[in-house]
Amino acid sequence: MQRSEPLLTCEGVSFSYLGRFPALRELSFEVETGESVAVLGANGCGKSTLLKILGGLVFADEGSCRAFGHELSERALSDDGFSLAFRARTGFVFQNSDAQVFSPTVREEVAFGPLQLGLERDEVERRVSDALAMLEISELAERAPYQLSAGQKKRVALASVLVSSPELLLVDEPTAGLDPRSRQWLLELFGELRGAGKTIVLATHELDQLEWITNRCLVLSEEHRLIASGPPSEILADFDLLLAANLIHEHAHRDGPLVHAYSHSAAHHRESAGRVDPGCSDREDC
Amino acid sequence: MAATAPEWLLASETDLAPCALTGRRRRRGFLEKTIQATARFLQSAIRSEETASEHGLLQRLDARVKLVSLVALLLAAALVRHVSVLLALLLATLALAVSSRLPLRLFLTRAWLYVPLFTGIVVAPAALSFVTPGEVVVSLGHWFGHPVGLTHQGLESAALVVSRVTVSISLVVLVAMTTSWPRLLAALRTLLCPKLLVLVIGMTYRFLFTLLGAVEEMYVAREARPRSSERSVRQGRAFVFASVGALFGKTQALSEDVHQAMVARGYDGDARMLERSRLTLVDVAWIGACILVVMLLLGVDRAAL
Repeated sequence: MQRSEPLLTCEGVSFSYLGRFPALRELSFEVETGESVAVLGANGCGKSTLLKILGGLVFADEGSCRAFGHELSERALSDDGFSLAFRARTGFVFQNSDAQVFSPTVREEVAFGPLQLGLERDEVERRVSDALAMLEISELAERAPYQLSAGQKKRVALASVLVSSPELLLVDEPTAGLDPRSRQWLLELFGELRGAGKTIVLATHELDQLEWITNRCLVLSEEHRLIASGPPSEILADFDLLLAANLIHEHAHRDGPLVHAYSHSAAHHRESAGRVDPGCSDREDC
Repeated sequence: MAATAPEWLLASETDLAPCALTGRRRRRGFLEKTIQATARFLQSAIRSEETASEHGLLQRLDARVKLVSLVALLLAAALVRHVSVLLALLLATLALAVSSRLPLRLFLTRAWLYVPLFTGIVVAPAALSFVTPGEVVVSLGHWFGHPVGLTHQGLESAALVVSRVTVSISLVVLVAMTTSWPRLLAALRTLLCPKLLVLVIGMTYRFLFTLLGAVEEMYVAREARPRSSERSVRQGRAFVFASVGALFGKTQALSEDVHQAMVARGYDGDARMLERSRLTLVDVAWIGACILVVMLLLGVDRAAL
């Protein structure tokens, strides 16, 4: 595989469900090796669909996608050699950990990927132990998935992907449903992976700590189009853009007879939790 | 975009019924019972996992060894023709339950109560003299001018069937309560069961918990909403059909996600799995003991003929 061109290239990618419900419209962008890219957008704007296209799980209706120097199409992935090479290089962490954790035990779950990729059993066992230790879940190895909390399932899902040491990591809403400690731990892990030179594409609508874990943002509009691409500092400074993409909301509150209205992000809320009115301390709703 | 709540939502309700015990106490319907059965299944699965993780005799054995010895002992129980020999085997299962630190009440309820009771009811007519002729030991008077009673031969046949069933159930319950589900599946895989079949069974069991959780949530959500005190079977049926539809949709979406998650990790239709277990001295000793027990059972049974 040639590696001179970008790791991922999308040109004019469009996708719709059942041919009627558009999810993506004419998206074009590139992702270089070692980049950490956040796909930002409101609920239902097509972030998960885009990730699935990049992961070769669904295919664009129009336009084309290239990964690792090869066209990413249904036909290409039906080739055993390319499919194995692509899956070995790409890790996909789903938003719904319940769907990703399907094996009877945590150990078997983590071993599933490397076994499918044809690694030797001794090597698989070694990697599984290392991955479990890295994610601090060694004591859960023989547990069944239904005995795990949401945070533990997320760790298992991550271990099951990282155990194959993918070059490209596609992560869908990584912090959704996690408690603050697990969330912080996960963000630190992404920071570490980014430092190690992994290419990361993550879909999120969380703006907090974006600058720390990514070096570029792609913003999708509610009309399913790519409306901006740039470094996080630039994107986060553009309040009109964030407002248009429904990533922040215009906040209003009464101050006696006056009504103050101003733009607000989730991150801003957390930073100034002590200064805003107490009714707005909830991160998700406010 | 400012939210505009309708007036009725902002005003407080004035004609609500008093918050007191003024209604009729209602009986549990089939829905409540079904949901409770769901909860019981989840509890029983968790209980089985707990008993399987005890440090008893059978828990120390390899699952493959347990499965093979189970089949051998089941065959032996099927070939034995004396109730006394089966009773000896039954006592041995009780001893195994004790040495495996199983909660005796749970074991006896699962193995010795319901199945033998219902088997007894089913085979009871075989003890009657007009079904199995022979020496009448308990007279039941005259039916249509003919003497009727329980015969020695009939009672023996019924006792043989009941004790055989009880032994078989006890053996199966012993294995089920001392082996975790994943180990049982792994054992099935190594014992020439098709891998795909074992994979499907494993995933069915795993997602059963997710879907049962969804059923419980739907029911609780329904209960949390205010409804008329007049409940009808029709309402219940409508809820069940609506839930089945919703659950079907959820199952389909989940199965698509699971398939994509498998494909993303290199699944190409041939699932490769981790096999780890190695036989220990305890396993070898157990195999030897089982062979001895089977030979002893069949030998004593033949000698008693």
